[in-house]
Amino acid sequence: MSLRLENISVAVPDGATERVLLDGVDLDVGPGEVVAVTGASGSGKSTLVAVAGLLRQPDGGRVTIGGTDATALKDRRRVRLRRDAVGIVYQSSNLLPALTAREQVAILAHISGRRDAAAKDRAIELLTRVGLEDRLDARPAQLSGGERQRVAIARALMNEPVVVLADEPTASLDPELGELVMQLLIDEARRLGAATVVVTHDPDQAGRADRHLHLHRGEVAART
Amino acid sequence: MYLALRELRFARGRFALVGTVIALVAMLTTMLSGLANGLVDDGISGLRRLPMTDLVLQQGSAETFSRSTLTDADLAPWEGRDDVDASPLGVSFVNARTDGGKTIDLALYGVPAGSFLAPRPDAEGALEGTPGLVLSQELEDEGIEVGDELTVVGVDERLPVLGFTYAGSYGHVDIAFTSLETWQHLLYGDNAKGRFSAIALRADDDTTLEAADGTEVVTKEEAYAGSPGYAGETQTMSMIRWFLLVISALIVGAFFIVWTMQRSRQIALLKALGASRSYVARDALGQLAVVLVLATAVGGGVAFALGGLIDGTAVPFRLALVPAVSALVLLVVVGLLGCLAGIRRVVAVDPAMALRAAD
Ligand SMILES: Nc1ncnc2c1ncn2[C@@H]1O[C@H](COP(=O)(O)OP(=O)(O)OP(=O)(O)O)[C@@H](O)[C@H]1O
Ligand SMILES: [Mg+2]
Repeated sequence: MSLRLENISVAVPDGATERVLLDGVDLDVGPGEVVAVTGASGSGKSTLVAVAGLLRQPDGGRVTIGGTDATALKDRRRVRLRRDAVGIVYQSSNLLPALTAREQVAILAHISGRRDAAAKDRAIELLTRVGLEDRLDARPAQLSGGERQRVAIARALMNEPVVVLADEPTASLDPELGELVMQLLIDEARRLGAATVVVTHDPDQAGRADRHLHLHRGEVAART
Repeated sequence: MYLALRELRFARGRFALVGTVIALVAMLTTMLSGLANGLVDDGISGLRRLPMTDLVLQQGSAETFSRSTLTDADLAPWEGRDDVDASPLGVSFVNARTDGGKTIDLALYGVPAGSFLAPRPDAEGALEGTPGLVLSQELEDEGIEVGDELTVVGVDERLPVLGFTYAGSYGHVDIAFTSLETWQHLLYGDNAKGRFSAIALRADDDTTLEAADGTEVVTKEEAYAGSPGYAGETQTMSMIRWFLLVISALIVGAFFIVWTMQRSRQIALLKALGASRSYVARDALGQLAVVLVLATAVGGGVAFALGGLIDGTAVPFRLALVPAVSALVLLVVVGLLGCLAGIRRVVAVDPAMALRAAD
């Protein structure tokens, strides 16, 4: 399994008691497989992405990525695993205002300590793949919402991650464009053979996934 | 510093603003350093240029010539030594008037003919023959000429100007050399009894200089402190410079914290992309370091240029490269220390923040 979540629970203090955000969630995603996650607002979808993306340690349970138990790793090593094995597309595109499209993608190589020309070529290749070959030097302020999300997709794929996560990547786009962007993300993640988890509100989009997980108040309410 | 440098270019205006403030502080620091040097020079250059290493003064004189009186009896043991050159020295402040009616202050050095203190070989002759004065170069620049006669106010002695020597001042007053006899005559009339202010010594560093009873030995540098106004001026200047350092650390630190808070979302994203704590810390500090170094260099450069303009005017201003540059380096270091106070916030940013929708 490329991504395995076992019995994940997350709770935050809420006054004297605690509030459970995730409760005993299990999820296995194989290479090239796409799983859609749905659920009402506040049901814990973003929390699930944070845990799977190693942005947040669960209070209980285990996250395994590419065979490595990430929850048992020291902070430093977990950061490195996140860098090398996880690509995330965020709800709002979350690009860096100062960087051009090309730099948004290439910075991943810099963070990883690779400063070679091959990295630059790969950034351009990815941007071309998502249809932005003419917008390489545009900054976020000069890009449309759809273009920004496409840059974010290229960035998520830059390090050839084992796991690709997307948290409502099309929420800020109109439905038609959302379709396109979602399809692009799924195609590219499949081509890479990454285990992919996509959070979405849209039943149509959820239908494109191989499997489907529905969350209700932090628990798995249904899965297909 | 991938992001840091690109942000510098992108947010030029914002950085230019804080850069200007830093540059102004750097400029002020450098100007003050020049002014402090200039003042010190103006205070003690006439003493520094005397080719001696140490001074014997009367005990309890607190490095002040006017409080010290010695006689030939004090001189004798020093003159008997082979490893030390010794010369009596009279120092006093007098007021003189040109025939044109202009009054000038003089720091008058009384030096015996043949003393190693004599300013120049040609001045030595002047100290031997007719009583007269050898004046600091600055007075020649003010229009006094060889052959002019100056009247010493109070005793009404007329003394001819015999020549000029290097520019120098003591206690912000131009120096003048005269023979020890003339000096004694001006100060004590016919009742000098061989008195003078101090004994100048010239010896190697490792020579032991033991003061006799009733006297004390100080190094030339220690004697600067006795120059009128010296201690107060140096302390005031260094206090202003410390204040500037603290102010600049606060400015830079405050800017850094505000700027960091503004970009915390981007820092969260960097961390979410897999950047280590040290990567984001280096990025943030490196950015400020670039601004600090550039702005400080510009400010220092402007100050040096202004210093060049001031040079040659009456303002006591002298920029020495090494102390000025070290003050600027200190400014950069202190600025970075100011940033260190805010760096905790940078490394502590929660990467999960990147998942929250921008609002
Ligand atoms: N750090 C936190 N501290 C306290 N409560 C939190 C924290 N993070 C999330 N929550 C709460 O946990 C619940 C689940 O949040 P989460 O963001 O996972 O929901 P979601 O399913 O992504 O919702 P949405 O569809 O609106 O994005 C919410 O009620 C939220 O307010
Ligand atoms: Mg969410």
